[in-house]
Parts: sequence; structure tokens; C-alpha cells
Amino acid sequence: MSYAGTLRRRPPEPMKLPPWRARLLFLLLLAGMGGLVVRSAYLQGFHDTFLQSKGNARYSRDIEISAHRGMITDRFGEPLAVSTPVESIWANPEDVEATAQQLDKLAKVLHLGKDELASKLANRDKGFVYLKRQLPPDEAEKAVRLKIPGVALHREYRRFYPGAEVTAHLLGFTGVDDNGQEGLELLLQDQLAGMAGSERIIKDARGHVVEDVANVRPPKPGTDVALSLDSKLQYLAFREIRLAVESHHAKAGSIVVLDAKNGEVLALANWPSYNPNNRERPAMQTMRNHAVTDLFEPGSTMKPFTAAAALEAGKVRPDTLINTENGAYVVGGHKIRDTHSASSMTVSEIIQKSSNVGATKLALSLPPEVFWHNLSEAGFGALTGSNFPGEAYGRLRDFKRWVPIDQATMSYGNGISVNLLQLARAYTVFANDGELQPVTLTRRDVPMVGKKVFSERTAREVRAMLELVVQPGGTAPQAQINGYRVAGKTGTAHKLDGGHYVNKYIASFVGMAPASNPRLIVAVMVDEPAGAQYYGGQVAAPVFSNVMGSALRMMNIPNDAPLGNVLMPPAGEVIGEEV
Amino acid sequence: MIAAAKRSFAPLAEYDAVLSWVALLLLSIGLVMVYSASIATAEASKFTHQATYYLTRQTIFIAVGFTVGMIAFQMPVRGWQKLAPWLFLAGVALLTLVLIPGIGKVVYGSRRWLSLLVFNLQPSELMKLFAVLYAADYTVRKSSVGHLLTKAFLPMAIVMGVVGALLLLEPDMGAFVVIFAIAFCIMWLGGFKLKVFAGLMIILPLGFAALILSSEYRMKRVTGFMDPWSDPYGKGYQLSHALIAFGRGEWTGVGLGGSVEKLFYLPEAHTDFLMAVIGEELGFIGVFVVMALITWFVARAYMIGRQAAFVERPFAALVAQGIAVWIGIQSMINIGVNMGVLPTKGLTLPFLSFGGSGIVVNCVAVAILLRIDYENRRLLRGLPA
Repeated sequence: MSYAGTLRRRPPEPMKLPPWRARLLFLLLLAGMGGLVVRSAYLQGFHDTFLQSKGNARYSRDIEISAHRGMITDRFGEPLAVSTPVESIWANPEDVEATAQQLDKLAKVLHLGKDELASKLANRDKGFVYLKRQLPPDEAEKAVRLKIPGVALHREYRRFYPGAEVTAHLLGFTGVDDNGQEGLELLLQDQLAGMAGSERIIKDARGHVVEDVANVRPPKPGTDVALSLDSKLQYLAFREIRLAVESHHAKAGSIVVLDAKNGEVLALANWPSYNPNNRERPAMQTMRNHAVTDLFEPGSTMKPFTAAAALEAGKVRPDTLINTENGAYVVGGHKIRDTHSASSMTVSEIIQKSSNVGATKLALSLPPEVFWHNLSEAGFGALTGSNFPGEAYGRLRDFKRWVPIDQATMSYGNGISVNLLQLARAYTVFANDGELQPVTLTRRDVPMVGKKVFSERTAREVRAMLELVVQPGGTAPQAQINGYRVAGKTGTAHKLDGGHYVNKYIASFVGMAPASNPRLIVAVMVDEPAGAQYYGGQVAAPVFSNVMGSALRMMNIPNDAPLGNVLMPPAGEVIGEEV
Repeated sequence: MIAAAKRSFAPLAEYDAVLSWVALLLLSIGLVMVYSASIATAEASKFTHQATYYLTRQTIFIAVGFTVGMIAFQMPVRGWQKLAPWLFLAGVALLTLVLIPGIGKVVYGSRRWLSLLVFNLQPSELMKLFAVLYAADYTVRKSSVGHLLTKAFLPMAIVMGVVGALLLLEPDMGAFVVIFAIAFCIMWLGGFKLKVFAGLMIILPLGFAALILSSEYRMKRVTGFMDPWSDPYGKGYQLSHALIAFGRGEWTGVGLGGSVEKLFYLPEAHTDFLMAVIGEELGFIGVFVVMALITWFVARAYMIGRQAAFVERPFAALVAQGIAVWIGIQSMINIGVNMGVLPTKGLTLPFLSFGGSGIVVNCVAVAILLRIDYENRRLLRGLPA
């Protein structure tokens, strides 16, 4: 600073702002901005996959889309079990924001108690609670229209059975999760059930669904399954068995209709039954599929197999006379009786009149092993191959532990047990010239190869004997059908109660028609007929006749007998087999 | 004479059109993005309850900002210089007032707002502009003693210490950093001694480190930014969501309105983390455009400052460059926080983020820049400023 400067009041020297400093600062600012642009490019163009996956983990959720369960149809495509869409209302309790008034409305719409709804929503640690499942779409709509955050819809399917009671036992039912629980629904689960799809949704931080992302795995619907069932026959069979059970005040009854040629089950019904479309759990005893899951002693319906075994072994011919001991015969200290005592009968007559003594004689003419082998080959003591869930194993004890009385009682169907389906199946050997057919519940488009059990000759000879059963002089004239020849066998068995035979009966009839070339087998079983009549020929044979006759006509099967062929015995004459 | 007469009748619209347009564009983008980012929050909140809550208010803020800006434009630069110390004092008074419980309003644990019936005033936002004016005036006044540590640096250091302490008590770490940066840069531009700056370059980082380590609150924010994925639901929550937003946006964005992060995931989407929403909805392109506009604004303000220096108006020059530095640094810190390169601070994005005080003060800053430019143009034509 100069001396002069201090003297003069010099105007303030204009301040110098060094340009380089400004430039440097500006460059630093630019560099900073540039760095941030690079960072942005890195985040948005190169690091984005990682960041997006982090994002997805936080707010996207995969929601299951229920797959449509396959339809069950009868053999002609008539629907028997169909899935209809329903809506379930669910909530994420944590996200539910609603006024008390809104909650009241919601409870009302869902037909829930206020407390019930409140307790469901109290589950705060659960992210997913069903409030009400399987509502019709219009009712669900009402709930959604309340627009309560955290309450949403989930599409599900509900099973509907058009046949209700008629097909209930066969089809079974599905649980609320659309999985088969019983019957064919359970057996065919793998085919019927589809693959659930998934849908990716994005939620906001409060749990509301914001959008459905295109990233969707479509559900794979299940496949439809055609059963071997003929729904018209099924209705018919159901109607008739129900009628029989009710008119004879019986405990229960079952009926099976088989295609005699290939073992397809054309109808299978029981009474009592239940309506699977009702939401309430039916009474346990109405849920049993007696025809498959329950065993009974077949009684006289076993006799044709005894005769066949003896014929097959060459011990007798149909017209061989057998000493029937005037209707009483002692084996191992047990007396075996016939009602219609005769000193002797031909093998045909033994079947026609259902003689226990005769059957015993025939059975005892064979070594236990041979008799056992014949029964075993005819499918006794085994499963039918229908794979029906809960099917009962037939009981046929090992011949090594037999004593003569065992073999004797077995010859007329005591001491051995079967289910009705199994019994019907066994009769395919007589319908099919000696071949046993596997039974099936699904439609069989390719004929199956049967198993040869008896020779063609034996089978035809037994079939001829079975035709005598329905003639006057046989045990079941009521089984006759106008215009068709019928072959069949009655059974009337005491029921076992606590190891003793009691005065309760199982009346049965198994038969086939047209006898010249059997197309159908119908097996009928009525449990504890409580009326005046209890013989198979009185209780079961008429059911057989009605169902078989209608079925033959429905299926347009040509007559093999002139119309008016039905010959009834004189009124009052009832030939009941010894029970 | 004829020429002079002509000049005096020249149109009044002697202003920097580019600067105005850039500012206007930023305000518009901000308005749209604030609306987009706030719809969900506004709709869901029990207090606001309508989707346009923030949009309406931001529109009013901008309108007020325009009006106040027009008035501010009428004030000659000389007037601002005279007012500078008083404004600064008023700012300090407001910062003190805001700390008094019952007067200052607490939001998210910070006492930053004065409730003035119709709106909430945020003194720290005003303080940024006042700091520019004050530091420029101070630097000009001290230009003759700029070489002396005690006379030039020390008084400023004490003043800044007081302001800084007030800001940290709120706490408002963001404003603290910006105001310090403004003061530091203006003194640097004003030609203060190099050696001192070298010393400050060592002391300041140490000071900052000490500040951060002294408070658990600040410490958490710093560690959260280092690795947001180590505790993504705790310390790193905000940042991790901001980063996800950028990642989702990719190059071209998910589309306006399509942000998921703004749906309550990203806290303060319409204020501090508006850039993340821009990144998500408009992609890299949107981010780049916004940053380019900000840079353009900063460059333009800087040029106005250099022009003022050229016509030997150091105060105006320092104010213009100070505003450039302020807007530039605040933007960079905000964007840096959004992108996870800087620790989380409560700083808004100038011109864009929601906030009345910020928008109005930014508009006044633009008005002052335009005034400086207007006076520059007059001086270059030989007219009186």
C-alpha cells in the first residue's frame, strides 16, 4: 500500500474475482453431475436385474389359480360330476381397514356372526385367512362391493353332482380344497385334478393388490374321465333298489349291473344314500358303498360254483343223480338240512331247488385243494380289480386249515364272504363260457382278455342249470323277463351276529340275460328284509327282473325267447332255499 | 442523442429467457412428478384424503413463488446487498424460534417447521438464500482483508458455527451441509487466501467425521447408506427402496404413474425421494433430462455471475455464482442420496420436490438471478443498473 493511497480517499478498488477459481469450481460441479449420471446409468441399465429381484421379493407375490377339475361323465358323456366356479372371500387381517359399520355389513353379506368375523380378523400374524369359502359369484360380488381394503376374492371351484343320491356312493366327493376324498373322486384324483397355475401380483406396502403382472403360469385343467356307467341304467337300478329296500323294510340294499362281456360296471347303486351336494356332512351309515366296501356271506349264490367245480373235475354230469339223504346230512357232527327234502336229485335239480345237502355232496367229492382252487380262480378271496377306494377283500380261508364241515358250508355259501361287486364279477365265468372278466369302473374301449376258469362246456352246463332256477319249480320264478331267457341264482343267508347265525337275512339274486348269449349281469342284495318275505327269490329276484328287463329293452338287445314266455308257478307255491 | 432516446424506450423484457424457461420446465416436471408420487399417499391418508392434495398445494406454492419472485425482481441488486445482513439476522432469529417447543413443529423427529396458520414455514430453506446473500456481501466487504485469517475467516467461521449449531439442533443435516458449502464456495470465489482453503480442506472433513460419529442418529444414516442390503428392512429400508425404484425404471421407465415404490414403500416419495420416483417412472432418460436441466440452470446462473464480474459488480457476481453453487450442490446431494452414493439427509430436490418454503425460495433465487442479468444487460448498454 502506497503512502499516497493513505492520503487520498481513493474510491474502493474494484474487487477481482479470479476466473480460474470459478472455472475450477464449475468443473467440480460438472464432474459431480457427470458422476451421478454414470451412477444412474449403472443402477438403471446394468444393476437393474438385481434391484428388480429385490423389489419382487418385497412386493410381488405368487397367487395360486385353482385349476378346473376334470368332469366325470357316464359312458355317453353325460356329466355326473362337474366343477362350477365359486368365489371365496379371503382377507389379510393386517391390512383390513374398516369401520365397525363396514364390518357389520361384511358379516351380514357373508352370513357370518359379527363375533365370528371379528375372531377371523383377529389373526393378525396370518397373512391369509378365508372369511367365507365357496360363495356364488353374485354373493361374493356384494362383499367386494364394500371395498374394504385387505378383503379380496379367490376363484375356486365347487363340485356339483347332477345325480345326487343316485351316484353318490360311486362318485364319492371332494373336499373343500377340491381334492377327492371318497369314491371315484379319490381314485381318479390324479387324472381329474389339474395343475394349479399361478399369477404374480404386485402389492403396495399396505397389502393391497395393485396389478396383475403378465408373468402368469396358466392353470392346467384336469382331464375329463368317462366312466363305464350308463346313467339311465344307474337311475333305473337306483330307483328299483330303493323301492325294494323300502317296501321290504330292509336295512339296506345294493345292486350292480355289469357288462357280461367285458366286466364294465354299467350301474352300481345302494340305498340308503345321501346327497353329496348338501353342505352338511351326511350320516355315516348313508355314506357306505355297501356294494363294494361291505362283505356278506353269499349263501346259495355260491352253489353254481360248487356245481361247476364238480363238473369241471369230471366227478358228475348235469344229470348225475346225487343222494340227497332225504334232506338231512351230518358232516363232522353238524346236521345239514334241506326244506324240500328228496331222496335224490340230479346236479341240475340241486341248483334249481337250491339243495344244501346236494351242494355239500358235490363239494365233498372234491379234494379241498381243488375246490379251493376253483373258488380262488373265480375271484373269491381277492379284490375285484376295480381299485375302488375302501373295497373289502373277500374272505376265502386257506384250504390247508379246512375241516370237512368248512368245505361243506362253503359249498352253499356260508363261511365265505364276498362283496356284491365281486359276486357279480364271479358270474362272468358263466356268462362268458368260462372266462372271468376283470371289472372296471371306467369306460373300456378295447375288449379285455379274460381269464379262463372253467371250460366252455362246464360254463354252458351251469348256465343251463341257472335257467331252471327261474322256471316254475325253481327258487326264483319272479326273476323271469318277458321275451328273454334268464339264468340266475337266488341266495338267502342268515346274518352273523357275534359269531352266531341269527334270524336276520340277506336276500340276494345274481343273474344274467339273455341266457343264450348273456350281455348283462345284475346282482341284487337286500340286507335284512323285515317284512313277511325274506327269500332271495321273493325280495331280490323281482328287482333283478325289473332292472334287467328294462335294461335289455333300453339297450335294444334282441329277444331270445318269444314274448309271453313267463311261466309263473301256481299261486302260493314258493320254493325257498334252505338258509 | 437519438440512439440514447431509442435505448430508453427499449422494451423492458430484458431478461434471460433461457434461465426462465429452464426453471419453468423444472417446476413443471416437479409438479407432475409430485402429483404422481403423492397420489397414493394422499388418497390413503386420513388427513389429506384426496388424490390431488399435494398437487393443489404445490400448484399454490408455485403461484405464490411466481408472485413473490415478481416482487423480488423489482428490488435492485444494491438493495439486496443492503438487506443481506438483516435478512441473515432474521434467518438466524427464525432458526432460533423454530427450536422453541410449542412454536416449532416436529415432523419425523425433526423440529424444522414454523406453523403460520395457512402454511408451514421452513426457516432452513430461507436460510440457504440468506446465506448466499450474506456470504456474498461479507466477501465483498472483506475483500480488502481477504488475506488475513483472523479478520476475514474467523468472523465468518463464528457466524457459520452459530447457524450450523442451530441447524444441527433441529436437526437438519442437509441444510447444514448446503449452507456451509455455499459459504465456503463464495469465499473461494471471492479470492480468499489459498493457504487457508488448504487448511480448511483438512479441518472440515475431520470436523464432519467428528459430527457424524458424535450422534447415533447420523451414524445410522451413514452406515445405512454404505450397505443398504445388510439391513434392508431396518437402516437400509429407505435407500434400498430408492435403489429398487431406479432398477425398476431401467432405461425408459415403467411409465408415468406406474411406480410401485411410491405405493407406501418409499417414504417421502414426493419430497426427498422424488428423484427415485422419476427414475422408476421415466427411467434413465427422465433422470438424465432432469439432471441436464439442473446443470443447464447452474451453468446459466454461473454465466450470469461471470458477466456480473465482467462489469465489475462483485456482489452480484458472487450472489449469482452462490445461487448456482447452492442449487447445484443441493441437487447433487439429493440425487446422490437417492442413488445411494451419499448418506441419507433430509434434503429436497430444488424446483421439483414438494415443499412451500423451498419452492418460494427457489423462485426468489431465480428472480434475483434475472434481476442481476437484467442489470448486467443495462450496464452493457451503458444504461444505469
